[in-house]
Amino acid sequence: MKRASRGWMIVILIAIFLSVVFLTPTFLGDRLPGWWGKVFPQKGLRLGLDLKGGIYLVLGVRADRAVEHEIVNMKQTITEELNKDQILPKGFDIRDKTLTVSFFSDSAREKAKRLKGNFENIADINESDQSLSFTLKDQYIKETQVKAIDQVKETIENRINEFGVVEPIVQKIGTDRIVIQVPGAKPSDRERIINIIKRAAVLEFKIVKDAGPNEETLLAKYGAKSPDDLLAQGLKLYPGEATGAGRENERFFIAERDSQVTGQYLSDARLIFDEYGRPAVGFSFNPQGASKFGKLTGDNIGKRLAIVLDGVVKSAPVIQERISSQGRITGNFTIDEAKDLSLVLRSGALQVPVDIEQEQTVGPSLGRDSIRKGELSMVVGAIAVFFFMIIFYRLQGLIADVALAFNMFFIMGFLSAFGVTLTLPGIAGLVLTLGMAVDGNILIFERIKEELRAGKSPIASIDAGYERSLWTVIDTHVTTLLTGVILFWFGTGPIKGFAVTLCIGIVSTLFSNVIVARVITDLIYGERKVEALSI
Amino acid sequence: MDLIKPDININFVGKMKTAVFISWVLILIGVGSFIYHKGPNWGVEFVGGTEVHVKFAKDIKPDDIRGALNSAGYPAESLQQLGLPQDNEYLVRFSHELVPFEKIQEFRGRLEGIFESVVGKNGANILRIDYIGPKVGRELIQKAIISVVLGWIVILLYLMIRFEFEFALGAVIAIIHDIFITIGAISLLNKEFTLTIVAAILTVIGYSVNDTIVIFDRIRENLKKVTKVGFRQLVNESVNQTLSRTTLTVVTVFLVLVALFLLGGSVIHDFAFTLIVGVVTGTYSSIFIASAFVVYWKYKKGVLT
Repeated sequence: MKRASRGWMIVILIAIFLSVVFLTPTFLGDRLPGWWGKVFPQKGLRLGLDLKGGIYLVLGVRADRAVEHEIVNMKQTITEELNKDQILPKGFDIRDKTLTVSFFSDSAREKAKRLKGNFENIADINESDQSLSFTLKDQYIKETQVKAIDQVKETIENRINEFGVVEPIVQKIGTDRIVIQVPGAKPSDRERIINIIKRAAVLEFKIVKDAGPNEETLLAKYGAKSPDDLLAQGLKLYPGEATGAGRENERFFIAERDSQVTGQYLSDARLIFDEYGRPAVGFSFNPQGASKFGKLTGDNIGKRLAIVLDGVVKSAPVIQERISSQGRITGNFTIDEAKDLSLVLRSGALQVPVDIEQEQTVGPSLGRDSIRKGELSMVVGAIAVFFFMIIFYRLQGLIADVALAFNMFFIMGFLSAFGVTLTLPGIAGLVLTLGMAVDGNILIFERIKEELRAGKSPIASIDAGYERSLWTVIDTHVTTLLTGVILFWFGTGPIKGFAVTLCIGIVSTLFSNVIVARVITDLIYGERKVEALSI
Repeated sequence: MDLIKPDININFVGKMKTAVFISWVLILIGVGSFIYHKGPNWGVEFVGGTEVHVKFAKDIKPDDIRGALNSAGYPAESLQQLGLPQDNEYLVRFSHELVPFEKIQEFRGRLEGIFESVVGKNGANILRIDYIGPKVGRELIQKAIISVVLGWIVILLYLMIRFEFEFALGAVIAIIHDIFITIGAISLLNKEFTLTIVAAILTVIGYSVNDTIVIFDRIRENLKKVTKVGFRQLVNESVNQTLSRTTLTVVTVFLVLVALFLLGGSVIHDFAFTLIVGVVTGTYSSIFIASAFVVYWKYKKGVLT
């Protein structure tokens, strides 16, 4: 064997070893021995939703809302600080990412300048006549948005994991999107899954100030023209959920604007049944929440407590006594609804809202059909190529076929290694790679034939064939790889899957074409004298 | 075994004028169809809306489906047969206004009822429902165009490094030629222009360049040899020398694609179709467009006479 081949032989053996390691979980699945996970990766090749059935969702995360929250918080802090110093601000103005505080005099502004220190890290501060403006730094805005999307992702991940489906995938895409894949989910589960994901699950407890049958009369009572006017009075209007006879006067509620106790202090939420046997959600507070809730209820005995979920008053019982650690939410729940609500309350609220931008629900039968047909077409295609090569190139064709088999094996191995999800376009990309791989071999073999016709010896022809085709093969693969990389960059979902399989396929194909086939050829012919080639 | 005789000598360069004429005719037919159909029949991922993939248990006419949907108050934005006729599979698209996201679940039930009123109980199986928000579509069209144009630029740059400028330009013109004809064919059959088709077209680009490079490499190699033949003949010899490889490769790739086309199922069907058209055009264009352009350029610039 040639010296160069010996070096490549080691590389090939390493590639084979790695592929076996990466592929074992795919084939063994649950039967993987326990020690395997400690030494080797456990994840196998995953099948995409189009092959398996399930739900695919793209969520747009309204991260800009988190920035708005930040500005509102800043306004709140500034108001409090100014209060401490007994400075009366003339007014606040929020525009885009800038909060401007105006004052009645220059001296008031000068006194307020001590606030600068509090916000220097997060905002650029400018002064002009009788006003101070705080513009959030771009870096800080970015951090806030990233934090918001990470929080949403984590929360949704917790929710879906708790829902109890197998191998859900939650990924961040770009700066403001989250992709969720729930393989195997049935179309009938769709509504529940979407509700679990989308629900903000902001739970608030507030003391009720008033209740009434419609917005107008309630607002008029407080001298407000619109719900926004109430905010200045520290109050807020909420729609009530209560319907039915005797509840006509409770369609709308007025409660405190700010809430001292929220769902973030919950330690647990679960399905319970009330005294009438109806499903409800029971919750418990953590110690911090318990002391806050205890104070809120203890101070307001005899008043009504509004339990507000996502801006709607679920119920408003009269506080009979100081309650600290436990409570419950009642309403017209089915068992599933109460279960799902407990689940989202346990996993926490989404700090910013999400929109569903894209959805794909694939029924299980399409998946089965696609797999069967995908496999069939691949097998038929592969067999056709296999025989074609042997008919046209005999022994060399067989070598190419062996190299091709190795190629497919490597590709599968590396697809598993990169955790690629195999989708239908992905399979198409694989089949295409198969075609391109054969092209590389044909190119080399045709060259060898030419060299033979030119009168070179068999071994010299093989050498020249491989050597002279090398750059052509590299050029063709590099250009395809470049298109693959661009696709990967710009593509989303299925296109990305296609790009990944194509790129991995191209690299592996180049290796198999110029190295594996060559080493096998060298192994067969070696250094001995060869009279004629079987080509 | 040889498919093409080693001493074959077809006068490709001489037929280039005719070939360029045929290409123009094909491109114009495509453009005409494009205008006639008022642009591409964009898939749901580009225009947004709700798309339903349904399989019927028995033969059904597209007009019957359309009629039933219309009378139920759910007129389809587009209705397209998927896969082979005997698959009885259809893609039906509805607008945002008609089926907003919140109503999909309810809509699914309605739709089953409508379909069953046409084909009978359990005669229709909804395989897949896609919903695409209005924002996503615009972004995707932009991304698709950017990726195609970037693809051209990157290939042009790479080939400029590896070959001379006119070769690189020839290869890119061949790509544009292939894209036009492929898209024309899709438009002519009024197939839906989906993301998968975009992927197929990008693959065609890769394949077309692949083919062109093989011939260019041979031209460059032959240029290094001391010969007395003119450039025209040299290009012709290079094309003939690589003809065996070209034919064999096309045949193998074709075998695979035909397997995909016929057996791959409804979802892969159009993907395979696009690739088949693209691969044939790509092979043809590497000989008649890319190589022809290099010959044309050399004579035009007076480098050769």
